[in-house]
Amino acid sequence: MATLQAVKKAVSLAPTVRTLPSGVPVAPLLNFAVRAPHDSHHGTSGPRADIPPKWTGGVSRTSTGLVSKTYLSVPTQQYRLLHTSVARKDAPEVPDFSHYRTNPDSNRALSYFMVGSLGILSASAAKSTVSEFLQTMAASADVLALAKVEVDLTNIPEGKNVIIKWRGKPVFIRHRTQGEIEEARSVDWKSFRDPQSDEERVKKPDWLVMLGVCTHLGCVPIGEAGDYGGWFCPCHGSHYDISGRARKGPAPLNLEIPAYEFNDAEGKLVIG
Amino acid sequence: MALANTVYNTFFKRNSVFVTTIFASAFTFGIGFDIAVTKFYDRWNQGKQWKDIRDKYVQEE
Repeated sequence: MATLQAVKKAVSLAPTVRTLPSGVPVAPLLNFAVRAPHDSHHGTSGPRADIPPKWTGGVSRTSTGLVSKTYLSVPTQQYRLLHTSVARKDAPEVPDFSHYRTNPDSNRALSYFMVGSLGILSASAAKSTVSEFLQTMAASADVLALAKVEVDLTNIPEGKNVIIKWRGKPVFIRHRTQGEIEEARSVDWKSFRDPQSDEERVKKPDWLVMLGVCTHLGCVPIGEAGDYGGWFCPCHGSHYDISGRARKGPAPLNLEIPAYEFNDAEGKLVIG
Repeated sequence: MALANTVYNTFFKRNSVFVTTIFASAFTFGIGFDIAVTKFYDRWNQGKQWKDIRDKYVQEE
Protein backbone atom coordinates (compact mmCIF):
# COMPACT_ATOMS: atom_id res chain seq x y z
CA MET A 1 0.00 0.00 0.00
CA ALA A 2 2.74 2.29 0.93
CA THR A 3 4.64 1.58 -2.26
CA LEU A 4 1.52 2.12 -4.33
CA GLN A 5 0.96 5.50 -2.72
CA ALA A 6 4.54 6.39 -3.39
CA VAL A 7 4.07 5.59 -7.06
CA LYS A 8 0.85 7.55 -7.34
CA LYS A 9 2.24 10.50 -5.55
CA ALA A 10 2.07 13.76 -7.47
CA VAL A 11 5.43 15.29 -8.14
CA SER A 12 5.95 18.87 -9.04
CA LEU A 13 9.05 19.45 -11.06
CA ALA A 14 10.69 22.54 -12.21
CA PRO A 15 9.03 23.42 -15.52
CA THR A 16 12.16 23.35 -17.63
CA VAL A 17 14.06 20.28 -16.67
CA ARG A 18 14.84 19.18 -20.18
CA THR A 19 13.82 20.35 -23.62
CA LEU A 20 13.10 18.35 -26.73
CA PRO A 21 14.98 19.17 -29.93
CA SER A 22 11.86 21.04 -31.04
CA GLY A 23 12.22 23.36 -28.09
CA VAL A 24 9.33 21.94 -26.11
CA PRO A 25 10.09 21.44 -22.45
CA VAL A 26 9.68 17.89 -21.27
CA ALA A 27 7.57 17.46 -18.16
CA PRO A 28 6.65 13.79 -18.17
CA LEU A 29 5.25 13.51 -14.64
CA LEU A 30 3.21 16.68 -14.71
CA ASN A 31 -0.36 15.55 -14.18
CA PHE A 32 -3.03 18.20 -13.94
CA ALA A 33 -5.77 15.62 -13.47
CA VAL A 34 -4.35 14.18 -10.29
CA ARG A 35 -6.73 14.19 -7.39
CA ALA A 36 -5.89 15.25 -3.94
CA PRO A 37 -4.92 12.31 -1.74
CA HIS A 38 -7.70 10.93 0.34
CA ASP A 39 -7.52 12.43 3.73
CA SER A 40 -9.86 11.66 6.59
CA HIS A 41 -9.47 15.18 7.91
CA HIS A 42 -10.98 16.82 4.87
CA GLY A 43 -14.01 14.64 4.16
CA THR A 44 -14.71 13.52 0.66
CA SER A 45 -12.19 13.87 -2.08
CA GLY A 46 -13.30 15.97 -4.99
CA PRO A 47 -11.73 17.70 -7.92
CA ARG A 48 -8.69 19.74 -7.05
CA ALA A 49 -9.48 23.29 -6.26
CA ASP A 50 -6.04 24.63 -7.06
CA ILE A 51 -6.10 23.83 -10.77
CA PRO A 52 -8.81 24.82 -13.18
CA PRO A 53 -11.12 22.02 -14.37
CA LYS A 54 -10.45 20.47 -17.73
CA TRP A 55 -13.46 21.96 -19.44
CA THR A 56 -12.04 25.47 -19.17
CA GLY A 57 -9.17 24.53 -21.42
CA GLY A 58 -5.61 23.71 -20.55
CA VAL A 59 -2.33 22.62 -22.01
CA SER A 60 -2.14 19.62 -24.25
CA ARG A 61 0.74 18.01 -26.10
CA THR A 62 0.42 17.69 -29.81
CA SER A 63 2.85 16.66 -32.47
CA THR A 64 3.72 20.29 -33.11
CA GLY A 65 4.40 21.11 -29.47
CA LEU A 66 2.52 22.33 -26.48
CA VAL A 67 -0.87 23.85 -27.19
CA SER A 68 -2.76 25.86 -24.71
CA LYS A 69 -6.48 26.32 -25.14
CA THR A 70 -8.92 28.34 -23.16
CA TYR A 71 -12.69 28.08 -23.56
CA LEU A 72 -14.29 31.25 -22.51
CA SER A 73 -17.94 32.03 -22.20
CA VAL A 74 -19.69 35.11 -21.02
CA PRO A 75 -20.47 34.76 -17.35
CA THR A 76 -24.15 34.29 -16.85
CA GLN A 77 -24.38 35.90 -13.49
CA GLN A 78 -24.40 39.64 -13.09
CA TYR A 79 -21.99 41.43 -10.81
CA ARG A 80 -23.81 43.72 -8.45
CA LEU A 81 -21.95 46.12 -6.26
CA LEU A 82 -22.85 46.82 -2.68
CA HIS A 83 -24.12 50.23 -3.32
CA THR A 84 -26.08 50.95 -6.34
CA SER A 85 -26.31 54.69 -6.43
CA VAL A 86 -24.75 56.36 -9.38
CA ALA A 87 -21.25 57.62 -8.79
CA ARG A 88 -20.91 61.33 -9.00
CA LYS A 89 -18.39 62.10 -11.58
CA ASP A 90 -17.87 65.68 -10.51
CA ALA A 91 -15.95 65.59 -7.22
CA PRO A 92 -17.28 67.89 -4.52
CA GLU A 93 -15.33 71.06 -4.39
CA VAL A 94 -12.67 71.13 -1.66
CA PRO A 95 -12.87 74.40 0.29
CA ASP A 96 -10.01 76.77 -0.17
CA PHE A 97 -8.01 76.77 3.06
CA SER A 98 -5.23 78.96 1.83
CA HIS A 99 -6.68 81.91 3.67
CA TYR A 100 -6.15 80.08 6.97
CA ARG A 101 -2.71 78.73 6.21
CA THR A 102 0.25 80.66 7.53
CA ASN A 103 3.36 81.21 5.61
CA PRO A 104 5.68 78.41 6.75
CA ASP A 105 8.68 80.71 6.54
CA SER A 106 7.19 83.45 8.65
CA ASN A 107 7.76 82.11 12.18
CA ARG A 108 9.94 79.13 11.49
CA ALA A 109 12.95 80.66 13.22
CA LEU A 110 10.81 81.57 16.23
CA SER A 111 9.45 78.02 16.49
CA TYR A 112 12.91 76.53 16.43
CA PHE A 113 14.08 79.15 18.89
CA MET A 114 11.38 78.13 21.36
CA VAL A 115 12.23 74.46 20.88
CA GLY A 116 15.90 75.21 21.40
CA SER A 117 15.26 77.30 24.52
CA LEU A 118 13.30 74.48 26.06
CA GLY A 119 16.17 72.19 25.16
CA ILE A 120 18.66 74.50 26.87
CA LEU A 121 16.58 74.62 30.04
CA SER A 122 16.09 70.86 30.07
CA ALA A 123 19.75 70.17 29.41
CA SER A 124 20.94 72.43 32.22
CA ALA A 125 18.31 71.01 34.59
CA ALA A 126 19.44 67.48 33.77
CA LYS A 127 23.07 68.44 34.18
CA SER A 128 22.54 70.04 37.57
CA THR A 129 20.40 67.11 38.70
CA VAL A 130 23.19 64.69 37.93
CA SER A 131 25.95 66.84 39.37
CA GLU A 132 24.03 67.62 42.57
CA PHE A 133 23.31 63.94 43.02
CA LEU A 134 26.98 63.10 42.57
CA GLN A 135 27.93 65.78 45.09
CA THR A 136 25.94 63.96 47.73
CA MET A 137 28.49 61.17 47.44
CA ALA A 138 31.48 63.49 47.91
CA ALA A 139 33.18 63.78 51.27
CA SER A 140 31.67 66.46 53.44
CA ALA A 141 33.66 69.36 54.83
CA ASP A 142 34.10 67.87 58.31
CA VAL A 143 35.47 64.65 56.86
CA LEU A 144 37.86 66.59 54.64
CA ALA A 145 38.99 68.62 57.64
CA LEU A 146 39.80 65.43 59.53
CA ALA A 147 41.58 63.89 56.59
CA LYS A 148 44.74 65.93 57.20
CA VAL A 149 46.68 66.12 60.43
CA GLU A 150 49.40 68.61 61.31
CA VAL A 151 52.09 67.67 63.73
CA ASP A 152 54.54 70.12 65.27
CA LEU A 153 57.90 68.42 64.89
CA THR A 154 59.79 70.84 67.12
CA ASN A 155 58.19 69.28 70.19
CA ILE A 156 59.53 65.79 69.45
CA PRO A 157 63.01 65.25 70.86
CA GLU A 158 65.50 62.98 69.21
CA GLY A 159 65.06 59.30 69.93
CA LYS A 160 61.40 59.58 70.87
CA ASN A 161 58.24 58.13 69.44
CA VAL A 162 54.99 59.98 68.99
CA ILE A 163 51.70 58.30 68.17
CA ILE A 164 48.95 60.39 66.67
CA LYS A 165 45.55 59.50 65.33
CA TRP A 166 44.94 59.99 61.63
CA ARG A 167 41.77 58.86 59.89
CA GLY A 168 40.98 56.62 62.84
CA LYS A 169 44.34 54.87 62.71
CA PRO A 170 47.48 55.39 64.75
CA VAL A 171 50.50 56.91 63.04
CA PHE A 172 53.99 56.43 64.45
CA ILE A 173 56.43 59.30 64.16
CA ARG A 174 59.97 58.53 65.22
CA HIS A 175 62.69 61.12 65.52
CA ARG A 176 65.61 58.84 64.80
CA THR A 177 69.07 59.33 66.12
CA GLN A 178 72.12 59.22 63.89
CA GLY A 179 73.00 55.77 65.17
CA GLU A 180 69.56 54.45 64.35
CA ILE A 181 69.76 55.84 60.83
CA GLU A 182 73.09 54.15 60.29
CA GLU A 183 71.74 50.92 61.70
CA ALA A 184 68.71 51.02 59.42
CA ARG A 185 70.86 51.68 56.37
CA SER A 186 73.70 49.27 57.06
CA VAL A 187 71.66 46.05 57.14
CA ASP A 188 71.32 43.87 54.07
CA TRP A 189 67.72 44.69 53.23
CA LYS A 190 67.62 42.57 50.09
CA SER A 191 67.28 39.43 52.14
CA PHE A 192 64.21 40.65 54.04
CA ARG A 193 60.74 39.29 53.57
CA ASP A 194 59.51 42.56 52.05
CA PRO A 195 62.75 43.98 50.64
CA GLN A 196 62.75 47.76 50.87
CA SER A 197 65.64 50.09 51.49
CA ASP A 198 65.50 52.69 54.24
CA GLU A 199 65.87 55.44 51.63
CA GLU A 200 62.60 54.34 50.04
CA ARG A 201 60.75 54.49 53.32
CA VAL A 202 61.66 57.93 54.59
CA LYS A 203 61.70 61.40 53.06
CA LYS A 204 64.08 62.77 55.63
CA PRO A 205 66.34 60.27 57.41
CA ASP A 206 65.62 61.89 60.80
CA TRP A 207 61.90 61.32 60.61
CA LEU A 208 60.24 57.97 60.20
CA VAL A 209 56.49 58.29 59.61
CA MET A 210 54.39 55.16 59.24
CA LEU A 211 51.00 53.69 59.93
CA GLY A 212 50.92 51.94 63.29
CA VAL A 213 48.96 48.95 62.13
CA CYS A 214 50.60 45.55 62.11
CA THR A 215 50.47 44.13 58.58
CA HIS A 216 49.67 40.72 59.97
CA LEU A 217 46.24 41.13 61.57
CA GLY A 218 46.00 44.81 62.35
CA CYS A 219 47.15 45.11 65.98
CA VAL A 220 49.07 48.17 67.09
CA PRO A 221 52.75 47.34 67.65
CA ILE A 222 54.62 48.54 70.73
CA GLY A 223 57.43 51.01 70.18
CA GLU A 224 61.05 50.60 71.22
CA ALA A 225 60.63 46.89 71.67
CA GLY A 226 61.42 43.71 69.83
CA ASP A 227 64.64 42.04 68.79
CA TYR A 228 65.61 44.75 66.30
CA GLY A 229 65.14 47.85 68.43
CA GLY A 230 62.06 48.94 66.51
CA TRP A 231 58.51 47.80 67.07
CA PHE A 232 57.04 44.61 68.39
CA CYS A 233 53.49 43.40 67.87
CA PRO A 234 52.21 41.74 71.03
CA CYS A 235 49.40 39.85 69.31
CA HIS A 236 51.43 37.33 67.33
CA GLY A 237 55.01 38.39 67.88
CA SER A 238 56.02 40.24 64.76
CA HIS A 239 59.24 42.20 65.03
CA TYR A 240 59.90 45.38 63.06
CA ASP A 241 63.24 47.12 62.83
CA ILE A 242 64.01 50.80 63.26
CA SER A 243 62.84 51.45 59.69
CA GLY A 244 59.52 49.67 60.25
CA ARG A 245 60.42 46.66 58.15
CA ALA A 246 59.11 43.23 59.06
CA ARG A 247 62.04 41.17 60.29
CA LYS A 248 60.60 38.34 62.31
CA GLY A 249 57.23 36.79 63.02
CA PRO A 250 54.15 36.35 60.87
CA ALA A 251 53.93 39.89 59.45
CA PRO A 252 54.11 39.61 55.64
CA LEU A 253 54.85 43.26 54.81
CA ASN A 254 56.63 46.28 56.21
CA LEU A 255 54.63 48.86 58.12
CA GLU A 256 52.75 51.05 55.68
CA ILE A 257 53.92 54.58 54.91
CA PRO A 258 51.13 57.18 54.61
CA ALA A 259 51.29 60.18 52.30
CA TYR A 260 52.97 63.01 54.19
CA GLU A 261 54.79 66.26 53.59
CA PHE A 262 57.13 68.44 55.57
CA ASN A 263 56.40 72.08 56.09
CA ASP A 264 59.90 73.31 56.70
CA ALA A 265 58.97 76.94 57.24
CA GLU A 266 56.85 76.20 60.29
CA GLY A 267 58.60 72.99 61.30
CA LYS A 268 55.47 70.97 60.81
CA LEU A 269 54.58 67.62 59.35
CA VAL A 270 51.35 67.29 57.37
CA ILE A 271 49.96 63.78 57.08
CA GLY A 272 47.34 63.14 54.41
CA MET B 1 12.78 88.61 8.34
CA ALA B 2 16.35 88.70 7.17
CA LEU B 3 17.52 88.25 10.73
CA ALA B 4 15.20 85.29 11.24
CA ASN B 5 16.48 83.67 8.07
CA THR B 6 20.07 84.27 9.07
CA VAL B 7 19.46 82.72 12.47
CA TYR B 8 17.63 79.81 10.90
CA ASN B 9 20.39 79.16 8.41
CA THR B 10 23.11 79.52 11.03
CA PHE B 11 21.74 77.46 13.91
CA PHE B 12 18.62 75.53 13.06
CA LYS B 13 19.17 74.16 9.61
CA ARG B 14 21.49 71.33 10.60
CA ASN B 15 20.47 69.26 13.57
CA SER B 16 24.09 68.71 14.59
CA VAL B 17 24.65 72.44 14.84
CA PHE B 18 21.31 72.86 16.61
CA VAL B 19 22.07 70.25 19.27
CA THR B 20 25.63 71.50 19.75
CA THR B 21 24.34 75.03 20.21
CA ILE B 22 21.81 73.79 22.76
CA PHE B 23 24.47 71.99 24.81
CA ALA B 24 26.92 74.88 24.64
CA SER B 25 24.20 77.34 25.63
CA ALA B 26 23.09 75.05 28.46
CA PHE B 27 26.64 75.06 29.81
CA THR B 28 26.89 78.85 29.65
CA PHE B 29 23.39 79.29 31.00
CA GLY B 30 24.17 77.02 33.95
CA ILE B 31 27.22 79.07 34.93
CA GLY B 32 25.42 82.38 34.46
CA PHE B 33 22.39 81.21 36.41
CA ASP B 34 24.61 80.04 39.24
CA ILE B 35 26.44 83.37 39.40
CA ALA B 36 23.19 85.33 39.29
CA VAL B 37 21.55 83.30 42.04
CA THR B 38 24.63 83.53 44.24
CA LYS B 39 24.77 87.30 43.78
CA PHE B 40 21.12 87.66 44.63
CA TYR B 41 21.50 85.42 47.67
CA ASP B 42 24.48 87.36 48.95
CA ARG B 43 22.68 90.65 48.53
CA TRP B 44 19.53 89.36 50.15
CA ASN B 45 21.48 88.07 53.18
CA GLN B 46 23.92 90.93 53.37
CA GLY B 47 25.41 91.30 56.84
CA LYS B 48 24.24 87.92 58.02
CA GLN B 49 26.77 85.56 56.50
CA TRP B 50 30.04 84.53 58.11
CA LYS B 51 32.13 86.11 55.38
CA ASP B 52 30.48 89.46 56.16
CA ILE B 53 30.88 89.34 59.95
CA ARG B 54 34.19 87.48 60.07
CA ASP B 55 36.12 90.71 60.72
CA LYS B 56 34.31 91.22 64.00
CA TYR B 57 35.50 87.95 65.47
CA VAL B 58 38.76 86.94 63.83
CA GLN B 59 41.86 89.02 64.40
CA GLU B 60 44.59 88.31 61.88
CA GLU B 61 47.95 87.91 63.52
